[in-house]
Amino acid sequence: MALNFKCVYIIVVALAITSAVDKGNFKSCEQSSFCRRLRNAKPQDADFVLNLDTLHVSDNAVEAELRNEEAEATFKFVLTSLHGNIFRVFIDEEKPLHSRYQVDGALNGELQVAKLEVLERDKEKVVVRSGDNKAVITAEPIRIEFFKNDVLVAVVNDKGLFNMEHLRPKASEGEGEAEHTKEDPGAWEENFKSHHDSKPRGPEAVGVDVTFPGALRIYGLPEHADKLALRTTQSGGLDPYRLYNLDVFEYEVDSTMALYGAIPVVYAHSDKNTVGAFWHNAAETWVDIGNSKDTNVVSSIVNLVSGHQPENTVDAHFMSESGVFDLFILMGPTPKDTVRQYASLTGVAPLPQYFALGYHQCRWNYNDEDDVINVVDNFDTNDLPVDVMWLDIEYTDGKKYFTWDPIKFAHPNAMISNLTSVGRKLVVIIDPHIKREGGYFLHEECLANDYYVKNKDGHVYEGWCWPGSSSYPDLLDPKVQDYYKGLYSLDKFHGTTSDVHIWNDMNEPSVFNGPEVTMPKDCKHYGNWEHRHIHNIYGLLYTKITYDGLIERSPDRRPFILTRSHFAGSQRYAAVWTGDNDAQWPHLQASFPMCLSEALGGMSFCGADVGGFFHNPDTELLQRWYQTGIWLPFYRAHAHIDTRRREPYLFAEDVRMRIRNALRLRYALLPLWYTLFREHETTGEPVIRPLFYVFPNDPNVVDVDNELLVGDRILARPVTEAGVSSVSVYLPGGANEFWYDVEDFKQYQGTGVITIPVTLDKNPAFYRGGSIIPRKDRPRRSSSLTHHDPYTLYIALDSNKSASGTLYIDDGQSFNYRNKKYLYLNFEFKDNTLTSSLIDKTDYPTDAWIERVVILGPPAGINKAKLNSKSLGTVSLETSYDGENRSLTVRKPGVNIREPFTLKLH
Amino acid sequence: MELFARNFKFSSLFLSSSVILSVICTSEVPRPRGVSLSRASLYNPERNFLCFDNSKTIPFVQVNDDYCDCPDGSDEPGTSACPHGIFHCTNAGHKPMNLASSRVNDGVCDCCDGSDEYARNTITCPNICMQLGRHAREEAQRMAELVKAGKHLKAELSQRGMQLKEEKKEKLVVLEKNKEEAERVKQEKQQIKDELEAAENKALEIYRKMEDEEKKRKAEAEAAKNREEATETFVKFDSNQDGFVEISELQTRQTFDKDKNGEVSVEEARYFLNNEDAIDLEKFVTDAWPNIKPYLMMDAGLFKPPVTQEESPSEADDLQGDEADEEEAPQDEEEPDEGEDEPEQPEEAVEEPAPLPYDDETQKLVDRATFARNEFADAERAVRDIEAEINNIQDYLEKDFGPEEEFASLQGECFDYSDHEYIYKLCPFEKTTQLPKSGSMETRLGSWGRWDGPEDNKYESMLYDKGQSCWNGPQRSSKVKVVCGVTNEVTSVTEPNRCEYLFEFVTPAACREIASDVDDLHDEL
Repeated sequence: MALNFKCVYIIVVALAITSAVDKGNFKSCEQSSFCRRLRNAKPQDADFVLNLDTLHVSDNAVEAELRNEEAEATFKFVLTSLHGNIFRVFIDEEKPLHSRYQVDGALNGELQVAKLEVLERDKEKVVVRSGDNKAVITAEPIRIEFFKNDVLVAVVNDKGLFNMEHLRPKASEGEGEAEHTKEDPGAWEENFKSHHDSKPRGPEAVGVDVTFPGALRIYGLPEHADKLALRTTQSGGLDPYRLYNLDVFEYEVDSTMALYGAIPVVYAHSDKNTVGAFWHNAAETWVDIGNSKDTNVVSSIVNLVSGHQPENTVDAHFMSESGVFDLFILMGPTPKDTVRQYASLTGVAPLPQYFALGYHQCRWNYNDEDDVINVVDNFDTNDLPVDVMWLDIEYTDGKKYFTWDPIKFAHPNAMISNLTSVGRKLVVIIDPHIKREGGYFLHEECLANDYYVKNKDGHVYEGWCWPGSSSYPDLLDPKVQDYYKGLYSLDKFHGTTSDVHIWNDMNEPSVFNGPEVTMPKDCKHYGNWEHRHIHNIYGLLYTKITYDGLIERSPDRRPFILTRSHFAGSQRYAAVWTGDNDAQWPHLQASFPMCLSEALGGMSFCGADVGGFFHNPDTELLQRWYQTGIWLPFYRAHAHIDTRRREPYLFAEDVRMRIRNALRLRYALLPLWYTLFREHETTGEPVIRPLFYVFPNDPNVVDVDNELLVGDRILARPVTEAGVSSVSVYLPGGANEFWYDVEDFKQYQGTGVITIPVTLDKNPAFYRGGSIIPRKDRPRRSSSLTHHDPYTLYIALDSNKSASGTLYIDDGQSFNYRNKKYLYLNFEFKDNTLTSSLIDKTDYPTDAWIERVVILGPPAGINKAKLNSKSLGTVSLETSYDGENRSLTVRKPGVNIREPFTLKLH
Repeated sequence: MELFARNFKFSSLFLSSSVILSVICTSEVPRPRGVSLSRASLYNPERNFLCFDNSKTIPFVQVNDDYCDCPDGSDEPGTSACPHGIFHCTNAGHKPMNLASSRVNDGVCDCCDGSDEYARNTITCPNICMQLGRHAREEAQRMAELVKAGKHLKAELSQRGMQLKEEKKEKLVVLEKNKEEAERVKQEKQQIKDELEAAENKALEIYRKMEDEEKKRKAEAEAAKNREEATETFVKFDSNQDGFVEISELQTRQTFDKDKNGEVSVEEARYFLNNEDAIDLEKFVTDAWPNIKPYLMMDAGLFKPPVTQEESPSEADDLQGDEADEEEAPQDEEEPDEGEDEPEQPEEAVEEPAPLPYDDETQKLVDRATFARNEFADAERAVRDIEAEINNIQDYLEKDFGPEEEFASLQGECFDYSDHEYIYKLCPFEKTTQLPKSGSMETRLGSWGRWDGPEDNKYESMLYDKGQSCWNGPQRSSKVKVVCGVTNEVTSVTEPNRCEYLFEFVTPAACREIASDVDDLHDEL
C-alpha cells in the first residue's frame, strides 16, 4: 500500500515542478450553491422584519422576534453590549427543524457584558446606548446603524443582503412546487468534480452585509496570499475572499482563494476612525468586499462637478453555508482599540518560550540522527546561531505518528540530549491523519473506541494522505480530546522529552482524495454535526488538544506548537506559518502582508518558510529571505524534499557572512521581541504592526505593506526585490518624527518617501526616535546561552531629546512568571538622564547587567556620565562619540539589570 | 607534564563594575586569561595596552574587564565581550585550542580544561584533558597502527599497480610492434588484391556490357508496355473520343473517389488529370498515368493501400446496392485487363538480372580475386584488433590510479554495501549502482568521472556522475569518500541530497602519513 502511495505522491510532486496551483481543484463562488444563492440575491429577495412589539429590554441586551413573512419563518434577535466597546448581534431560529451550529472554541471563555440603555423606541425603531456607542435598530427591514461618539461608523444590512435560510423538510415530488422553482439546483445536493455532497439538511445559509461609512480601506480576513488592504471583489471581477481551510498545493500570490487558515474578522479604517466586525462562524464562508473608490466612478465625477468631496465607503458581505448569525461589531475608534477588542473576544497568544523566537532550522527531511547532529555541528563551526531543529514526516515509522523510524531514528534520546546540551530544542511533526494499519496502536485504539469521523452512511471515513489510507480522529468528541491529549505524555510518546515541541500540519484536514483536498462536508462528527458545520475549527481543535497535551506532559514548560490550519482563537495555542510557499520573489514579498493580516487577526506569532518551500532559491533570494525573515515573529527555514540542501553554511563565505549578520541581528533583538510578546499577552497588541496601526491619522500609509513595525520601535523595510541598488522607504510621522538607520545610525525625518542605496549587505530598518531598544549584542550558539548575557540599550532620541522603552525578563521557559517571577522595566530618557524603574512589583534574580548604552541623535558636548544605584553608589563612566557624532556610547554602566538606577550625562 | 595551575574560579563579582585583572600564573610567563603562550608578550601589565590593530590604546586594567574596547577584540582574550575575539585554552594533557569568544561563559564546557567557563559557580566544567588526551593518544596510536598496516598493504598494492602499469607499457610496446607488422601485411595483401582485381575487372568488362544491354532492353520493353497500357486506358476513358480525357469523363469512375464519399468531385478528378481540366494522350501517358495506375491496381486488388478493410472502396460499394450497380459495370469490364497485368507484377520489384555464367578462364580470375579480397579483409581486421587493444591500454595508462598506482588493482573489482532497503555497489573507476532488496532493476548512480578531493589531496574523494536521471529531477551522481583502512570495503552509503549519494570506502590504498600536529601538542608543554 505504501508503495502504491509513493507513486501517487511522486506524480503530484512532478506536476508541481512545472505548474502553479491548479485552480480547477477548488471551487469558485459560482460553483458553490450557497455562495451563488447569497451573492446573487437581490435586496428584496428576503424580507426580514423585526417585530418591535415583542421587544424585550434587559440591562445588557435587547431581544425581539424577527420574521421572514414570505418563508413563514420566525427567528430570535438579540443585540448585546459587551465590555470594551463591542456590540454582539445574535440571531437563531425560534424553533429550528435541526439545531443550527454555534461555534465552540473560538471565543476565549465567557464574555463580559456591559450596560446598555434604551434611549428611544417606537414602532419603527429602537435606539440603544452603551458608553459612547450607540445602535439604532430599524425594524422593517431589519437594519442596525452603529455610532461612535455620534458618528456613524457601521451599518448592518445597509444593502439589505441579510439572509438566513430556515431549515426545512425536503419537499417531496409534486409538493412545494413554488418553493422548488426558485431553489438553487445545488440546495439539496451538490457535485464538484467527482465528489458528491449529499446535503441531508438542505439549505441553511446565513449572510449579511456590513457597510462602513467613511472608511478608506478594509483589512483582515486572513489567510490569503494577497495585499494587506483587501481588494474590491464583485460579480464578474474577483471572486469573494474565501474562508475555507484548504491544503492548496503551490498557492499563488495576489489571490482571494482560500488557504489553510480562516479568521473572519475585518477592520475598516480611515484616518479618523477604525471599526471592526467579527463574523463568528465555522462553516465555509465567502466575503465580498466593496470599496467605493473602486466602484463609484460616476458619483465621484458628480461630486467633482458639484464640488464636494464624497465620503469613501467600504463594505463587506459575509456569506456562510450554515450556522447561527453571530456578528460582533468592534467599535474602535483606533486600530489599537479595535484589535484589542478583537483580542478580548478570542484571546491572546500566551508568552512563548524564549527559544521559540530564535532561528528554526527545518527541512523535509533530515534523514537520520547523524544528519541532524551534523547540521547543528556545521552551524556551530560556521558561527551561525540556531535554536531548534525540526523533523518532518520521515522521522516516523512509516508515517505513523507518535512513533520513530526504528533505523534512522533509533536513539532519539541521545539525539535530543546532543541538542539540549547547547540549549537547543527539537520539534517533531504530528498530523491528524491516522494510518489504517493493523497493529498500529493509534489506529487500533481509535477503531476499538469508535474515535473516528464517520462518512455520511455512518461508517468510519477513510481518506488518503501521507501514509496512504487514513482515518481522522473526531476532535469534537470530548473522549477523543482526552484520549488524544494523553498521547503526548512522555511514557506514551517514547523518545520525547520536555524539550520536544510539536508541529501540527495537514490539519485543515488535508485529504488528498477528498473534495478540494479536504474532508467531505457530509462526514459526521460527534453531536450529530456534519463536517460542513465545523470545518474551519477542525485545526483549531487539533492545536488546542496539542496544547493541553503538552501542558499535561510538561506542566512547567510553555508549549511551543506550530500549526498550519487555524481559526479565530488559534493564537491561544499555536504559532502559524504561511504554509507551502515557493522560492520566488513574489512569495517573499507576500510574507509581510500575510503575516501582518494574521497579526491583526490575533495571530502575531507568524512566519513564512525562509528560502521558500518549493523549488530552489538562488543565493540572492535566499539571502534576502534570511534578511527579511528576521522581521517576522516566527523565523524558520524550511524546504521541500526535492530541493537542494540550502543550510546557510553550504554557501560561499560572503553569503554565509550576510546570513550570519541577519541571524545575529535577530538574536541581538530577541529581548525586544520577547518584551513585545509579553506585552501582546497583557494587552492584545500585535507584535508586528502595519504602518496604519501605529500612524492611524496618516492617510498615506493605508496601502503600505512592504514595511512593518516591530512593536512601535523598529520600522523594517527589507529588500524583497531582485537585483536592486536602491529602495524607497516611506517614513511616517512628520518632520518631528525621527528615524535612525539601525546599522549606521543616520537620522531621517518621518516626512514620507526616501530612497536609500542598498547592497546585498543592506537590510534597511530604522529605530523610531523616542524609543529605547534593549539588545543583547554578544553572539552565542543559541538563545538559551544568552540568558545571563549583558544588555546594551539603544536610546533613539526624539525631537525633544527624550525616549522611553520597556524590557521584560523572566526565566524564558516556565510559568513562574505568572507568579510574579519576572522583571518588567521601564527606561526613560529625558533631560540627559536615563532612569530605569520597575513597572510591576515583581522580581526575577538575574546576573544580566548593562554593558553599554548607545544614544542615537545625542546631545553635543558630553564628556562623561554618572551612574547612581543603590548597590554601586555613584560611578563615573566614560563616554565617546562615534566619528560622525551620530551616536554617543556610555562605557560599561555595569549595573545589574534588575536594579533601578539613574544615569546622567555630563 | 602539567605546568599550570588551573581552576581559577572567578565569581560573578567579575560582572560588577569593579575590574579584576584575570591573570593565569604560570611558572614562567604570566599572561591574561585566554592568551596563548606565543602571544603572552603582547600583554604587559606594566604598560597601557595597544589594540593589535593599533586602533586604540587603553589602560591595562581594561584588558579582560568584560567590555570590548578594541574593534579587533584583542583587549578581551578571556571574555565573551568582543564578537570576534579568540579565547585560547591551554588544555594541558591534551591539545590546546582556540575558541571563538562566543563560547566563553555561555554555560557549555568547550575546553577540556574547563577554562572557558569561570563566571558562574552554577557551572562547573571538570578538567577532562588527561582522559581526552589519553584517548586521543590511544586513538592516534590506533590510527598510526592502522596507517602503518594500511601503508604496508598499500605498498603491495602500489607495487602491483606499478607492475601492472609496467606490464601494460611493455604490452603496448609489443603491440605497437605487432601493429607495424600487421600494417605491413595489410599493405602487401592490398597490393595483391588490387592487382588481381584489375585482371578480374578486365575479364568481366565484356560480361558487364552484356548485362547492361540486357537491362536496357528490359527497361525499354517495360516503357512500351506501360505506354500501351496507358493508351488503352486513355481510349477507354475518352468516352467522347475527342482526343482528350476530361474531368467529366473521370467523374463517372468510382475509382477516383479518393475520399470515398460516394462521388468523384472536380478536385478529385483534377488531381488525376495533373491539375488540368483536360489532357491529351501524350500528357496522359507522361503526367497522369503515374497517378492513375495505382488506383486502377487498387481496384483490381493488386495494390493494398494502408487502410482498414471497412474503409476500402470496394466494400463500401458492396453495401450500396442497386444504385451503385450501374457504376460498377465499367469496373467489371476492366477486370480482365487488370488480370493481364498480373504477370508484370514481379517486375515491379526491381531485381538484378541473374548473372551470366562465366567462362572457365574468367571464373579462375574471379576466384583468385575473391581469395585475395578475403586475405586483405583478414589483415585489415588484425590491424583493427591490435588498435583496439592499444586503445584499451592507453585508456588504462591515462587513468589516474594515484601517485603510486596504489588504486590500480581496484579497477575491475566491485564492493557491495547493503542497508535495510538497498544493495549498493561500488565498482571503482567504473560505476556506482543501487539495487532494491525487493528485487527489481538496478539503478546506475553514476559512472566514473574523476578524483575530486580538495586540492591538497584530490585522492580523498571520487566522483561518479551522469547516472540515471531521477524522475523529473537531475541525473544521479555519487561521491565516494576514500579513507584509510586495512581492507577494501564500503562502510556507508547515504543520500544527503535527493539523487546525490555519498559512499564511504575504506581501502589501504588511501593510507597516507597523517599530517602531524605534534608541534601543537608541544606548544604548551
